[in-house]
Amino acid sequence: MADVVVDSSPAVDDATKPRGGIWGLLTFWGLHAWVLAYCGVVLSAFYIQFAMGEFPCPLCMLQRYGMFLSSLGALFVIMAARRGELTTARYAQGLGMGLIGVLAGASVSVRQILLHIKPGDEGYGDPVLGIHLYTWAFITFAIVMIYVGVMLMLMPRGIPHAPPAGSTARKISTAIIWLFIGVIAANVIAIIFLEGFAPVLPDDPAGYHLIEQLTGR
Amino acid sequence: MILLLVIALLMWRGANRGVIITLWVVGVVAMIGLFRFHVTSVLDLSF
Repeated sequence: MADVVVDSSPAVDDATKPRGGIWGLLTFWGLHAWVLAYCGVVLSAFYIQFAMGEFPCPLCMLQRYGMFLSSLGALFVIMAARRGELTTARYAQGLGMGLIGVLAGASVSVRQILLHIKPGDEGYGDPVLGIHLYTWAFITFAIVMIYVGVMLMLMPRGIPHAPPAGSTARKISTAIIWLFIGVIAANVIAIIFLEGFAPVLPDDPAGYHLIEQLTGR
Repeated sequence: MILLLVIALLMWRGANRGVIITLWVVGVVAMIGLFRFHVTSVLDLSF
């Protein structure tokens, strides 16, 4: 008769089991840092767009898209943790979504870096701290890839644990989530103004097409 | 981008996980399509 093998690993897929500890909190806030960091990056891009008058090209916009796509993976995990429904499988799904999102964004960044790799090419837009925005975008995508790798290595110990409902920490979490939703909404409006009635962005935008189309100028 | 906004709002409202992941996959496919549409030139790396 075959020996019975007893699985001694903890039942991490049981959402009803209490989780906690420093690791759970660290990974919960790590996901918020991910979302918040990309909100900061896109808000900085807004500053460059609106205050400095530099219009985002389609590749720039696709990199923002990749940032949002990956942040949705983080948000997926955050929301499951807040509802007390987070399992190892859902955590892995969220991290997987985040990883695919950053890979997609990094592909666009690499394409844009390669477009301007020739000696003498000044690149698209003004550099920030000596590096162009698409190169900065690639750096952030690489950081998130490393982050996801570390989080996967920490599993199941590092499964995020949400603070209790009504606490200040929970309110901060809610504020970050709504900031993220607001930044996506602002980007939607910016794209509508850039595109006007066209289905896609112009290759080299030099103004807000919607305003030009509405005013006839 | 509107799709991403819808996904974020659905996540907040606690929509079905299958719906969220399906829409998210549609978002990835849309991104690949847009990337393919906008990248029409061949890189000249002969320097």
